[in-house]
Amino acid sequence: MKKLLRAAALAAVAALALTACGGGGSTSDPANVSPTGEIKPREISWLLSRPADGAVINIMKKLADDYAKDHPGFALNLITTPDRPSYIQKLETLAAANKLPELFDTDATPFAQQLAKQGKMVDADKLLKSLDLYDDYRPGALDYQRFDDGSLFMIPFQFELEFIWYNKALLEKAGVSVPESLDDVPAMCTALRSAGISPIAIDGQDQWPLERYVAYQPFRAAGPDFVQKLKKGEAAFSDPAGQKTVQWMAELGKAKCFQDGFSAQGYSDAQNQFTSGQAAMYNIGTWELPSLATDKLNADVRDDIDFFTLPTTSGSVTAANEFVSPSGIGMAVNSKTYDPLVSDFLKFALEKYPAEYAATGALSPTTNVQTTVPANATPLYKKALETANTLGEKQAMPWDTQLDPTTNGRLQQELVLLVQGNITPEQFTKTMDDAIKQNAPKFFK
Amino acid sequence: MLPNRSRTSVLVFLLPPLLLYCAAVLFPILQSLFLSFFSWNGISDMEFVGLANYVRMLTADDIFWRSFFNALIYLAICLVLQLGGALVVASLLTSLRRGRELIKTLYLLPAVISTVAIAFLFLRIYSIDPVGLLNQLLHWVGLGSFERAWLSDVNTVLAAVSAPEGWRFTGLYMLIIYAALIAVPKELEEAAVLDGASKWTLFTKIRFPYIRPVWITTTIMATTYGLRGFDIPYLMTNGGPGQSSELLTTYMYKTAFTSTDFGYASTISVFIVIECLVAVGLILFMLKRKAD
Repeated sequence: MKKLLRAAALAAVAALALTACGGGGSTSDPANVSPTGEIKPREISWLLSRPADGAVINIMKKLADDYAKDHPGFALNLITTPDRPSYIQKLETLAAANKLPELFDTDATPFAQQLAKQGKMVDADKLLKSLDLYDDYRPGALDYQRFDDGSLFMIPFQFELEFIWYNKALLEKAGVSVPESLDDVPAMCTALRSAGISPIAIDGQDQWPLERYVAYQPFRAAGPDFVQKLKKGEAAFSDPAGQKTVQWMAELGKAKCFQDGFSAQGYSDAQNQFTSGQAAMYNIGTWELPSLATDKLNADVRDDIDFFTLPTTSGSVTAANEFVSPSGIGMAVNSKTYDPLVSDFLKFALEKYPAEYAATGALSPTTNVQTTVPANATPLYKKALETANTLGEKQAMPWDTQLDPTTNGRLQQELVLLVQGNITPEQFTKTMDDAIKQNAPKFFK
Repeated sequence: MLPNRSRTSVLVFLLPPLLLYCAAVLFPILQSLFLSFFSWNGISDMEFVGLANYVRMLTADDIFWRSFFNALIYLAICLVLQLGGALVVASLLTSLRRGRELIKTLYLLPAVISTVAIAFLFLRIYSIDPVGLLNQLLHWVGLGSFERAWLSDVNTVLAAVSAPEGWRFTGLYMLIIYAALIAVPKELEEAAVLDGASKWTLFTKIRFPYIRPVWITTTIMATTYGLRGFDIPYLMTNGGPGQSSELLTTYMYKTAFTSTDFGYASTISVFIVIECLVAVGLILFMLKRKAD
C-alpha cells in the first residue's frame, strides 16, 4: 500500500522530471565498494552541475573516451545543469522518483545526508581507500565534502580558495588600507563611499554570495562548530557569536558596503563592476583566476588588482590562514547501480584526473600534482595558487550547504532585508531563530 | 437539436480532448489534494498528517498570507494594465483610419517575446547601477528624486514586477476587444448619434453592452492568468527582497522544489485552485448581475 501511495504521489512531480536516467539493477550495500563479477560495458550517466565547457567536464569526457577504447560499448553521458537552484530541483525530483543515475553531484546538504542514510550512496571514504587514492587527496578537500558525523559520500573534483579581491588604486584614492579586522570593514566602506566609490561588488541575485558574509564573523568568533550547532537549533542568532554577525551585517548595510540595487544584480554584473574599476572589492574564489589573474583582465585595472584573505578579528579562534576553501560540489555514486563497470571506470578516471586537471591551471583536490600556471597569467595567479600550500586546518563552510533548505531560503531573504535596512537586527534575530526552531527538527532528527 | 447519429459522433470527437484534459489537468489537481494531507519530502516515508498542513497554512504561516496579498496586488495591477489598457487602445484603434494593422502588430509583439527575454529586458530597464532606461528618463524630465533601485526597494518591487506581465499581454486582449468592438453594428451607433448621444454615452450604452460577453471572457482569462503569474517575478527577483514580491505561485514552487516539502506545497496549490474558482465565480456573478 505504501508503495502504491508513493507511486501515486510521484505522478504529481514526475512531469518535472524530464530527464529519465538509468535505473534498474539490484539494491546493494553502500559499504561494498569492490563489487565482484565481470565488467560489462554500457552507457552510464552523470547528472552534474558544472559549467558545460569547463575543465571538469572536458577532462571527464576525454577520460571516458579513452576508457571506451578498451571497453567498447562504454559511454559516459554527462547531463549538466549549471544553474544550481534548477539543478537541485532536478536532483531532488529524481531522488523522489528513485531514478538517480549512476553518478550525481551534490553538496553535503541535509538532503544528501538523508539519501546517504537510506543507503542510496556509496561510501566514498571506503571507495577511495579501496582504490588506493584516499591519501592523495587534500584533507581539506575531503573535509569539505563530509557530513557532520564525519562520514564521506562525495568525491571532490576541485579545490578552491575564496579571497577578497581589491583594487589598490581605489583604496588609495579613498585613503584606506586593507582591513586588518573584519570589524574595520564598515568604516572602510564609509570612506570609499565618500570618495564616490562602490565599496563591494556583489551578485545579489544568486543569494549565496551575501550568505558568505554572514558566515564570517561566527567563524572567527566561535569557529566552524557554530553553524553546525546553529542549524540544529543548539546555537542561535541570539547567542553572542550570532549577534555579532547580525550586527555586523546591519553595519555593512548602513555603511552602504554593497553596490546600489545589489539584490537585483547578477554574477556577471558584479564581476563587471569590479573589473571595470567601479567597485573596490569583490569576494570570489580561485575559479575566477582565468578572468582575474590573466591578461584577459581589463588592462586598465590589471596592475591595481590584488587580493587578501578573510581578515581575522580580535579574539578570533580561527587563524588568518583559515577561511572558505571549498572543494566544489562533490560527486556521489549511486549504490543501486554500482557494479564492476562503474567501479572500474572510477578507478581509471580518478587516477588520471588530477594530472589533467592541474594542467588546465586549476588547483587539484589532490596533492600529488603540480598546477601549471598558464602562459598569460599575471603574477597574482601564482600567488593565489601558493596560498593553498599554507592553509590551516579549519575551514569556513558556506552556510547554504549546511542549513536545512527552508531555513536557508528564509535566511537568504531576510539577509537582504537586514542589509537594506528594511528590518532591524532584532527582527532578523527573532525571525531566523523561529525559522530554525520550526524547520530544523524535520531535517536533523 | 442534432439528429441522433451526429450527436453520437460529436460525443466521440469530444471524448479524446476530455480524456486528455482529465489526465493533464484534473488528475494532478486531485493528486495535489491527496498529497496535501501528507508530510513528505520526496525521499522520506509519507506521513499522514490530516489537516495539519491546512491549519499551518491558514494560521501559522506569515509568508503565505504575505504572498496571498502580494498576489492580489499583482493581479490588480495586471488587470488594470491589461484590460483597461486594452480597452483604451482598442477604442482608439476603431477611430483610426490608417495604420491599424501596424499598431495592432506592434502592440501584440510583446506577447510573442519569450518570458525570459522580457524579464532580462526589464531588469535592465529598472537598473540603477548602471543607470537603466526608467531612471534615465526620470532624470531627463527632472524627476531625479524618484530615481531608485526599483527591484531592490521593498515599496516598489511588487509594482515593478507586475508591470512587465501587464504590459506584455495588453496587446493580446486589445486584439480580442478590438475584434468585438468592430463587430458592433454600425446602424446602432449611427442611430444613437442621430439621437444626440455623446461619445461617452455611445460607449457606455451601446458599445460596452454589446461587447459584454467578450469582456467577461477576457476578464476571466486575464484573472486566471494573473492569479497563476509566476515566471516574470520568479526570474526578476525570485520573490525578493525578503518576501516583497513573493506570490503564492512562487512560494508554492519554492516550498516544493527548494524546501522539498511536497505535502505543504500541495496544500498551497490546492488553495490556488480554490482561489481561481472563487475568482471566476465572482466575476461571473458580478457581470451577470449588472447585465440583468
